[in-house]
Amino acid sequence: MKRSIVLVGAILAMTACSGGDAEGPLVVYSGRAEELVEPLIEQFEESSGIEVDVRYAGSTDLAATLLQEGESTDADVFFAQDPASLGAVASLMTTLDDEILDLVDSRFADSDGRWVGTSGRIRVFVHNTGTDLPLPQTIDEANNPAWAGQIGIAPTNGSFLAFVSAMILERGEEATLEWLEELAANQPVEFEGNSPIVEATDAGEIQGGLVNHYYLLRLKAEGGGANTENWFIPAGDVGSLVMPAGASIISSTDMPEAANQFVEFLLSEEAQEFFATDTFEYPLIDGIGLGEGTPDLSEIDAPDIDLSQLADVLEDATRLVTEAGLV
Amino acid sequence: MSVGPLVAPSRARLSARLSRTRGWGWWVGAGLVLLPALVPPLALTWQVLTGGIGPGIPLFRLAQLLGGTLGLTVAVTATALALGTATAWITTRTDIPARRLWMVVAALPLVIPSYMAALTVIGATGPGGLLSSWLGIEIGTPYGFLGAWLALSTFLAPMAHLMVTPALRSIDPATEEAATGLGARPLRVFSTVTLPQLRPALVSAGLMVGLYTVSDFGAVSLLRFDTFTRAIYTLHAGQIDRRPAAALSVILMAVALVILLAERKTRSRAGYRTSSAKREHRTIALTAGRRWAALGLLGGYATVALVVPVAVLTYWLARGMAAGNVIGPLWAEMARSIGVSVGAALLAVIAAYPVAMVTTWRRRRLSETVSTTVWAAYSLPHIAVGVAVVAFALRSTRFLYQTLALLLIVYVSMFLAQAMSPIQDSLGRASPDLEEASRGLGKGPLQTLRRVTLPITRSGALAGAALVFISVVKELPATLLLRPNEFETLAIRIWSSTGEGFYTRASAAGLVLLAVSIVPLLVMTHRDLSA
Repeated sequence: MKRSIVLVGAILAMTACSGGDAEGPLVVYSGRAEELVEPLIEQFEESSGIEVDVRYAGSTDLAATLLQEGESTDADVFFAQDPASLGAVASLMTTLDDEILDLVDSRFADSDGRWVGTSGRIRVFVHNTGTDLPLPQTIDEANNPAWAGQIGIAPTNGSFLAFVSAMILERGEEATLEWLEELAANQPVEFEGNSPIVEATDAGEIQGGLVNHYYLLRLKAEGGGANTENWFIPAGDVGSLVMPAGASIISSTDMPEAANQFVEFLLSEEAQEFFATDTFEYPLIDGIGLGEGTPDLSEIDAPDIDLSQLADVLEDATRLVTEAGLV
Repeated sequence: MSVGPLVAPSRARLSARLSRTRGWGWWVGAGLVLLPALVPPLALTWQVLTGGIGPGIPLFRLAQLLGGTLGLTVAVTATALALGTATAWITTRTDIPARRLWMVVAALPLVIPSYMAALTVIGATGPGGLLSSWLGIEIGTPYGFLGAWLALSTFLAPMAHLMVTPALRSIDPATEEAATGLGARPLRVFSTVTLPQLRPALVSAGLMVGLYTVSDFGAVSLLRFDTFTRAIYTLHAGQIDRRPAAALSVILMAVALVILLAERKTRSRAGYRTSSAKREHRTIALTAGRRWAALGLLGGYATVALVVPVAVLTYWLARGMAAGNVIGPLWAEMARSIGVSVGAALLAVIAAYPVAMVTTWRRRRLSETVSTTVWAAYSLPHIAVGVAVVAFALRSTRFLYQTLALLLIVYVSMFLAQAMSPIQDSLGRASPDLEEASRGLGKGPLQTLRRVTLPITRSGALAGAALVFISVVKELPATLLLRPNEFETLAIRIWSSTGEGFYTRASAAGLVLLAVSIVPLLVMTHRDLSA
């Protein structure tokens, strides 16, 4: 009995150590999954000598957590997968240095300089190659009754909500609610995330879905996805919204230097290469080649949306999604 | 052979006797243990009362969620109880070959988390899934009620099996033998003699399975069946405003409380006791046909609940590795999962003693409240517990926020019921004469605890510790919210990898999680089931 208590104590102590209680690590709240960005964090730790502690969760989750924690948060950096989540906590963010902001096209950064895009992604209509249903030429055609019960959506995912937010900015609340109600009437199949939508499409459970472009590319890299293609809606509407994942520095940080270094690192050639070739996203600095299967951004008919404003309508977007009966 | 009293002494006499034998210290202990258990419901209710509910939730939606939650709970509980009782009875009473092995096998599926159960259902039945390609026909994934019911029933039946087995064993063989001697056939003996004596264990098991279903998130979410927990998570994960999720959680807590109170009203207070002289039950010789039927049931169950999940995970792992995916080392995750689960299990058992003592000791209103509070803490959806504790810690105990200590405290109060229930059962089945005799012989309360109470509750405590370990190691939503930064466990690895489509890594972590959970289950079954 005594021996087992000692053993338990030892295990607990080990656990506590591996939990990372060391003083002064840079705390990063990451809405981007560990599976995606962990190698990058390790590269940063190695090259800078700065220890990083990461908290992984959904971007919207972390935004809400940051708002709840307020000034007492331990977070130094917020690394999120969509501009809406970033903008939602703008009140807690410091303005970034111009050297950082200048690295990126101004449409992929906050107009007040509180967050900067780190990689780009495109909303796509993913579809099973075996389908004979008409591919939507506009985002409204995605609600074509022919696709009833055949489309997957992830109505609580940050990217979907950012897409709805963009639609509000483009068309206003009323028209957006109308579109959402049409979507609901078409009985979409609801998922928690984007990957399962792509998997289900590939398996033929559903014929298509509204996701970001890189999920399929990654599935193909994993050895699946043979029956699925991305379809970039060509109408120049929010169906092909281009939006960045991005990073920001929390103003209550006690490590502003290290936080700055971290955000700079995300825009370094090394990191941008990684986003292009490993996660199949768009690099946002010049001179980086695209990953396999990623079309050139200039071929995409993207809408003209001020991404800095997405956060202002995020609450409206979640309300409309609820009102339409999608959650 | 001596037969224990079949009729419980009058409650007043029992209380008077026990209050002399067991000290008031237990009440103090129980009070201390309950404090953290009170936080989630109270903090959450307070938050909703003072902060409002934000944008409201339509009534028809509430009704829909309530119907879904309750319907699923009733169906899963009934199925899991029937299945678990059948496996327990076959493996304790009959002469099927490799009986002890089957007894362990029937308990093993308990280690499979509900989200992995759901993934198994999808992975096996989906187009191109293992089962579909093997059989050569498209089965179609049973999304919605059917899938959630199948997944949860299959993987919760072991809970009933584990609680019914010791109860079956502790029934005095004399009663069943008398019935058999009078010419009753095995099934009749079971339904008229055994089943009534199993009632306390069945009620406990039913309550546990039912409350697990009410608060489960993984299975209903992946199999897309709309329940309260799914809606709470959906609101929580997808909205900056967390008030609607908190409001729904308070309602769900109320639902769980109503179930608890209803159960308490109908619970029989008659107890069955055995003497300390234990004797093996005689095995029932089955006819060849019945033996095959029994083996078929066990074998079929083991295939569905064990072979298929492992096959699906292995298939994904192999597919990914063939495509050249890197899995990455999982040692750190494994160490954290084991460490935190062992710690929580040990603490939960220690914490369970005071509550088990005072709740079996006096059937007074106060002790009912103690018991109800423990079960309420267990029944709360973990996502709601997480939300509540985060809010509370930020406001009142900032030094505990995102620490391992807080995580352990929350685990202990969440799973206290799992440690308490088997200890209660042990205490309830033991004759109070034992403790009284010890005190009467001049032994102090501590000596009585060490020499009498601990030995008679040892198997219950072990069962409780194993249950808590298995629950903690696969717990997900509360861990996600409350864990310290960088504290990635196996469960979190599975969830995040699955969510991002990294099935190779998820499968690897899943197989490790199974291996890790099987160890305590084997230890427990070795000491308890095959005692």
